[in-house]
Amino acid sequence: MRTLKITIILVLSGLIVNLAMAHDLVELKKNTSNKVVIKYMFNVGSMMDPEGKEGLSMLTASLISDGGSTQYTKIEIDDLLYPMAASYYASVDKEVTVFTFEVHRDFIDSFYEIAKGLLYTPAFDENDFNRIKSNQQNYVDQIIKASSDEEYSKMALEDLLFRGTSYQHMIMGTSSGVNGITLDDAREFYKKYYTKDNLLIGIAGNYSEDFKNKLLLDREQLPALQFTLQEAPEISMPDGLQVEIIEKENALGSAIYAGYPLDITRVDDDFAALMVANSWLGEHRKSYGQLYEKIRRTRSMNYGDYTYIEWYENGGRVQLPLAHVPRHSNYFSLWIRPVQIGVQLKAQYEELGSIDVGHAPFALRLAIREIDMLAKNGISKEDFELTRQFLRSYIKLFVQTTEKELGFLMDSHFYGRENYIAELDELLANLTVEDVNEAARKYFQVENMYVCIVTDDSETEALSENLLKNKPSPMSYSNLVREGLSEDILQEDEEVAAYKLNVKSVDIINSQNTFK
Amino acid sequence: MKILKILPLILLTLACVPGDKDGGQVDDVFPYTIHQKALPNGLNVVTVPYESPGIASFYIVVRAGSREEVEPGKTGFAHFFEHMMFRGTDKYPTDVYNKNLKSIGAAANANTWLDRTVYHMTGNAKMLDKMFDMEADRFQNLNYSVHGFKTEAGAVKGEYTKNYASPMMQLNEKTVNVAFDKHTYKHTTMGFWDDVVEMPNQYEYSLMFFDRFYRPEYSTILVVGDVTPDLVNSLAEKYFGDWERGSYVPEIPVEPEQTETRFAHIQNANFPPYLSLNYKSPAFDPDSKESASLSVISQILFSQKSELYKKLVIEERKCRYLGGGAMFTRDPYLFSVRSSLHNPDDLQTVKDEIIKSIQDLIDNGVDQKVLSDTKSHVKYDFATGLDSSTAIAEVLSYSIWATGDPEAFGRFFNLIETITVEDLQATAKKYFIPEHLTISTISPEEEGGVL
Repeated sequence: MRTLKITIILVLSGLIVNLAMAHDLVELKKNTSNKVVIKYMFNVGSMMDPEGKEGLSMLTASLISDGGSTQYTKIEIDDLLYPMAASYYASVDKEVTVFTFEVHRDFIDSFYEIAKGLLYTPAFDENDFNRIKSNQQNYVDQIIKASSDEEYSKMALEDLLFRGTSYQHMIMGTSSGVNGITLDDAREFYKKYYTKDNLLIGIAGNYSEDFKNKLLLDREQLPALQFTLQEAPEISMPDGLQVEIIEKENALGSAIYAGYPLDITRVDDDFAALMVANSWLGEHRKSYGQLYEKIRRTRSMNYGDYTYIEWYENGGRVQLPLAHVPRHSNYFSLWIRPVQIGVQLKAQYEELGSIDVGHAPFALRLAIREIDMLAKNGISKEDFELTRQFLRSYIKLFVQTTEKELGFLMDSHFYGRENYIAELDELLANLTVEDVNEAARKYFQVENMYVCIVTDDSETEALSENLLKNKPSPMSYSNLVREGLSEDILQEDEEVAAYKLNVKSVDIINSQNTFK
Repeated sequence: MKILKILPLILLTLACVPGDKDGGQVDDVFPYTIHQKALPNGLNVVTVPYESPGIASFYIVVRAGSREEVEPGKTGFAHFFEHMMFRGTDKYPTDVYNKNLKSIGAAANANTWLDRTVYHMTGNAKMLDKMFDMEADRFQNLNYSVHGFKTEAGAVKGEYTKNYASPMMQLNEKTVNVAFDKHTYKHTTMGFWDDVVEMPNQYEYSLMFFDRFYRPEYSTILVVGDVTPDLVNSLAEKYFGDWERGSYVPEIPVEPEQTETRFAHIQNANFPPYLSLNYKSPAFDPDSKESASLSVISQILFSQKSELYKKLVIEERKCRYLGGGAMFTRDPYLFSVRSSLHNPDDLQTVKDEIIKSIQDLIDNGVDQKVLSDTKSHVKYDFATGLDSSTAIAEVLSYSIWATGDPEAFGRFFNLIETITVEDLQATAKKYFIPEHLTISTISPEEEGGVL
């Protein structure tokens, strides 16, 4: 066991929290908690999937979290853990795989004896493999394309943005990649990457020193490092706006996701400044972002509009960010939730009978124009102060539970930080509006971007032509909305409609041909 | 990141006594004290102090949801109205409201479901006064323009549009439409598409909706976190003390008894085959052994631990997923058993296996150890989930909207502890009958084809 590198004692309103961190252990002791959380973070993710085996890191992790051990079968484990209501799961991203185990402290010893078998002596049973592989294959072939067009557009954007790199494919893999994975592939992958030198353990809650020592001792049964750590890909800026339209049958709207490479991560102190600018522009699921205000609230176009300076997992469902998606290769993104397509608008409003395309071109122009103005003009001192005040409180909500607090601490480690949330608060406290506007100027731009739109096949051609020819796209309001709009808004609409996008290419792809 | 976790069925029962491993004796069902104070106008104020330094969760539960949408053509209106609550007052027009909200640094939002609408914000406990001020203002003095009303309707249409991409959403809409004839559970909370499109024209109705339901007798204030009951009660009196009671009581249509099996089907060749068996289930009653028994049955018959799951998902691999349970609703709703399949040819077999499993429980009961393990599972699942002010507020708000009483889930938990095998058998025999069943399917075929 290595010596603990740092220990911080925080006394918060009588609640004593021990927070300790080593190179290979993160501790978060909470003596009033009724449970124990254990996390194992391996530096292995989908970017290590071998060519032709895309999805292998996910499948390997699932064999551990949803399979058996050499001691117990999957069914026996389910039976043993049932009265404990213990939970455990794997989360896999591009660069890390994290196993999280949570159990009431009453059961910690008996639970751990079962759990450690999953991690250190997994069964790699053929029946488990076939079951899990089939579900993963189904996800890639059907579920992602037929459940949420928004999630689909996000995966498609990553496929476009990272094309030709180890980041390109979905965590769940590609159709041919998953199909090509064998049980031996998973065994070999486990042997190669699940090593003691590639592992960071985290423990939180109400546990004993003896228990912690047992965790560290057990880790020794893993082999030593047998590979050279792979670096995240460097991605180049696209030439102009490169648009990919994915057409499918029976889509009710156009789901838009766009982005470009960003040369900054949580490692950099500048990230805090960029976070303020981004929050003002499009804070996730908040009603006071600039894009939300202009596209949803003022113009009635969709359900929400947001921007991101790092990957936001499961944004369609969660309102606060999740841990365990740390990445070295980063990008900025714009999320425009589905807007109406032409066919639907025509059917709903007689006055729109002559339109040839729905709201996607206008929404995209409006959003990009706002990004452009932010980069050029920055934000006011007043907006800066308010947004910073918001963020300094809001980021503390990221870590409301013991599990999330431990998760964010372990992610801090990935970025070479000790406690990202605490350090971020300090960075925010020391910012000036000039810092924020400088970061906005440096990192926001609109000339080069990948754009992915999932839409109905009736919309594809007109949308493609509009973007490719950079045709003006006047906003097609229903009379219901138009009659109450102010002159200022209608004037701004004209400017948006004529706003030129630097479109260099538009490709149309049938849904059946994605994620092959 | 993709999380692979087979979620246990959510059994919203209250917590446990550490060390009580066999599910037998429970003395204290909830580890935190629930303080209640009713204001003279009928508004109930609930406070739960909890160690979340500097953080408070502030909830307002309005017991009006899509269940209260009794007039034709107004489906989805409770949810639409939830959107309108963010459209400002004279004192705090939307942009001022948003600035104030931003200054609190809160995670704030609202959501609507069958029986309720919940408004919530979790943020800086030191700004509780501001939270009360803002919420009291819009709950009593909401004042939006006709144009604001029409504009917001577009956001609801956008929400429907994004949801529609899921065949599961489409099937759910169809299932309740088929399963119910008269009751307002016939439509989903989103409402029918035609009604959603028509929403911008319902301004006058929206004023009536606000007048009916945004009243103290329909509402409960709930604050959990770094607060004291004295502070919360004094703020409630200060800001909500003058809120006037209303008089409206909706007449919710009574659903006639279903007399034969019904069918709902979606044809989709690009989605895995899907089956759900939806039995009419009783209204949730925290003091009813039937409600408690149905919760236990959902675990024993359809959880990951069940024999059916082992057979269909793990061993025979006919199903990708299996689960089931009843919602806790104010009126009779549905107990649904759901399964995603590999092969559409197995839809009938899987249906038959589910029925066989239910019949086996009715005929032969269950092992005592399985029952006691289930009780333990329910307790510990809940106990480990109560780990933030938000989590506690979510649970208590559920207890409030389902029953009107934040303590009700505690009683329900005690009741689960008393359930016997005979209770399970009697409840299963009463509710799992073909006359009360709606079979829903997704498959590549034009018809569901399951008998």
